[in-house]
Amino acid sequence: MRAIILTALLALAAPAPAAAQSFLGYRALGYPVFASDGRAVGTGNLGIGLAGTELSASDPAASAGMLLPTISLTMQPTWGTFEVGDESGASNTTRFPLIGIGFPVRQARGVATFSLAGYMEQRWAGRRTDLIDLAGRQVLAEDEFETSGGASVARFGWAQRIGPVVSVGVTAGAYVGRLEQFFERTLDTLNVPTDVRSFNEERRWRYGGYNLAAGLSLDPHELVHLAGTVEWSSDITEHPRPGTRGQNHYSIPLRLSGGATARLTPRLAMNGSVAYQDWTGAEGFPDGAVSALALSYGGGVEWTAIQAETRSLPLRAGYRRIAPPFRYGTQDPVETVWSLGVGVNFVELEGRRYGWMDLAVERGSRTSHPLTERFWRATISLGISRS
Amino acid sequence: MTHRSMPAPALAAAAALLTIGGCTDEIPTATRDELVQPGVAVEVTLPYDDFVTSTAVHGGYGRASQLGGGVVAHEFGPGPDEEGVEGPGLDAATLVRFAQFPRTITVVDSAGTNRIDTLPAFESAEILVRFDTVGSILDGPVEIAAHRVREDWDPVSADWDFAVDTLGALVPWSEPGGGEVEQIATAVWDPAAGDTVQIVLDSALIEEWKDSTVTSRDVRLSTNDPGVRLRVTLVRILLNTVPSINPDTLVRLPVATTAATFIYTPRPRAPGDALRVGGAPAWRTIFNFNVPRFLSGHPDLCDALGCPVAINADQISYAGLQLTTLAGSPAFAPSDTLILDVRMVTAPDFLPKSPLGPSTLSRRGGGILAPEVFRPPAGHVVEIPVTELVRDQLRGEDPAGGPVTSALALLSILEPWSIEYASFAGRTSESRPSLRLILNFSRGG
Repeated sequence: MRAIILTALLALAAPAPAAAQSFLGYRALGYPVFASDGRAVGTGNLGIGLAGTELSASDPAASAGMLLPTISLTMQPTWGTFEVGDESGASNTTRFPLIGIGFPVRQARGVATFSLAGYMEQRWAGRRTDLIDLAGRQVLAEDEFETSGGASVARFGWAQRIGPVVSVGVTAGAYVGRLEQFFERTLDTLNVPTDVRSFNEERRWRYGGYNLAAGLSLDPHELVHLAGTVEWSSDITEHPRPGTRGQNHYSIPLRLSGGATARLTPRLAMNGSVAYQDWTGAEGFPDGAVSALALSYGGGVEWTAIQAETRSLPLRAGYRRIAPPFRYGTQDPVETVWSLGVGVNFVELEGRRYGWMDLAVERGSRTSHPLTERFWRATISLGISRS
Repeated sequence: MTHRSMPAPALAAAAALLTIGGCTDEIPTATRDELVQPGVAVEVTLPYDDFVTSTAVHGGYGRASQLGGGVVAHEFGPGPDEEGVEGPGLDAATLVRFAQFPRTITVVDSAGTNRIDTLPAFESAEILVRFDTVGSILDGPVEIAAHRVREDWDPVSADWDFAVDTLGALVPWSEPGGGEVEQIATAVWDPAAGDTVQIVLDSALIEEWKDSTVTSRDVRLSTNDPGVRLRVTLVRILLNTVPSINPDTLVRLPVATTAATFIYTPRPRAPGDALRVGGAPAWRTIFNFNVPRFLSGHPDLCDALGCPVAINADQISYAGLQLTTLAGSPAFAPSDTLILDVRMVTAPDFLPKSPLGPSTLSRRGGGILAPEVFRPPAGHVVEIPVTELVRDQLRGEDPAGGPVTSALALLSILEPWSIEYASFAGRTSESRPSLRLILNFSRGG
């Protein structure tokens, strides 16, 4: 238990989750965070339907088989480039998209869970230079706008195994996080008196709203695992902080997701997952900002290369095709990602992991004309169980 | 079931990864119009009644003696002042008090050794006067007269009419302009030949002044050539001395002044409506500001944002007090650049003696006015930046959180700066002061 506490303290001491770095969604809530651990990333999974016990933010029933208190942390450094029109650039960041805790309650034969997962994040800066008319004179004005922050979801949940085949799970979550926007205008002092100050304005909001999810998983056969989740959300509200005006509301459509894992050989498993979320009717967004695409899917394989008595080393590969909810211009965005991964299960007994590290590397791109972004992304997850 | 503890290397790896995680962060940045909704910049000019509740001109700050130089003038610039009231030309004289002559000097003897000579012989002497060639107004050579001042005078408070003009004592000259004086000598300063003139002292005066018990070595410098106004920058006596140790050598010893001031007449008349800044003693103009917190009636602003528009300190990128220059009395017309400052009046109830807040222009500049803008017919619009003070007023406190008042003082950057002063159109003029504001508003990204 002390190891769990120690790791939790490490998590608290770590830098706050950095933002996703994409221009997608600059007119809306930003770019969706893929809050899954290294195993799901490596196998191309959307965070639902992987066999075995998991701490997942998007699969409420996945923790039902947990026997010991467990914590997992996930870190994602990302290195990206972008092209927008004839301009190109680079970005990099590191984020902590997922922290999960599971605590079995033996008397109830269930597992209490907590997770803090990234949801939508935005961090980018834009500049423009323009000649403006100031009392009949043309004055050069340089504007810079920077936005930083994002929404996360803090979820408390309960996962319950019902017999040997069925597990269920529910979560109730709240949107947390903040958004900061900074605007600066500099007027060319050659055309106006020397004492002109640049204009700065900072605006801050905090996110609010809540989120409910229910999941079901089935193990109808020892070689097959199935899972499904329905997730409902209230509006996300941007509450202005002192000094900022304007409260914004955004409706979040229902999200349906499902996944399955099939064990092909004792060491080889294949998974597939799909998520559906139709944003076209969502309210609060500027016209033309949301994508008409609603379906995301992914799949991959996991092959246990080394299997010792209490340890194993699985290798993973996968592919995902994501439909981000918000456009850059008028074209619906699509993100495609190829991934490779490796797991080091330090302690594994009877198919349950008690100490592990999962690594995954992704190469992906996303496009929404005139924007193209490419990235390399690493995902590192650590999990620890203690009695 | 058994379980094993988490290996220590895994914990170490976790700590390392968490540490590495926060190392680098490069935000994507693009120059794209669609990413930034442009802000709205609007320039508006507030008329006098929209931002000023009252103005007042106060005089008497500082003394002529604080200028550190002198003025010599005669019948300079007769004519109307900024309100058309005729005035005589300026008469001004510089008063100086010289230090004791040296009783010993150090000279090099024939052996090359420095020795102290206690019996130097003062062969001759002259008063050296240096003028500011740029700040002086004259058409050609000017005769400078040196008179000996016989009456006691206070170097700090003396003026044309009074030898002593302090709170506890008021001692008039026996005759205005330095009392009864005794001419010492005259000399002609030709500005084409240099910036100095030397006025030769006679031997009797040298003999009298070398006596260390004499306390008054006071001289008045003046001129009778009409239409000139000269700035004196340096006055000293040069003693041509023969050392007793080495009689073949002539040594020039300087004797500095212990006090200097200038006296002049007439005193500028206090303006009725015009605004005035500068002079010696100096004038200040006090504005009581009342900057509106809502603006309407400005088409550019209303078209962009709708009216009325609430404004706050952060939206003021620039505020300039626009003043229209007047041609003031020619006697005190600026001949050189004036540097003005704007400072908050921290205790308006104590005006004209209220302390002032810190300078707002000394570091940023912006209050520099060329003399040409005051030459007839004048009428030039000049702008004095008051951005910080307007922002403070809208904010209700200064940047350090201190209190602010509505009163602003327009003054020269040092008081006194020169005998010259600047005049501006006042409240009843058609060219009343106005306030130019450059406002910025954002519309986000």
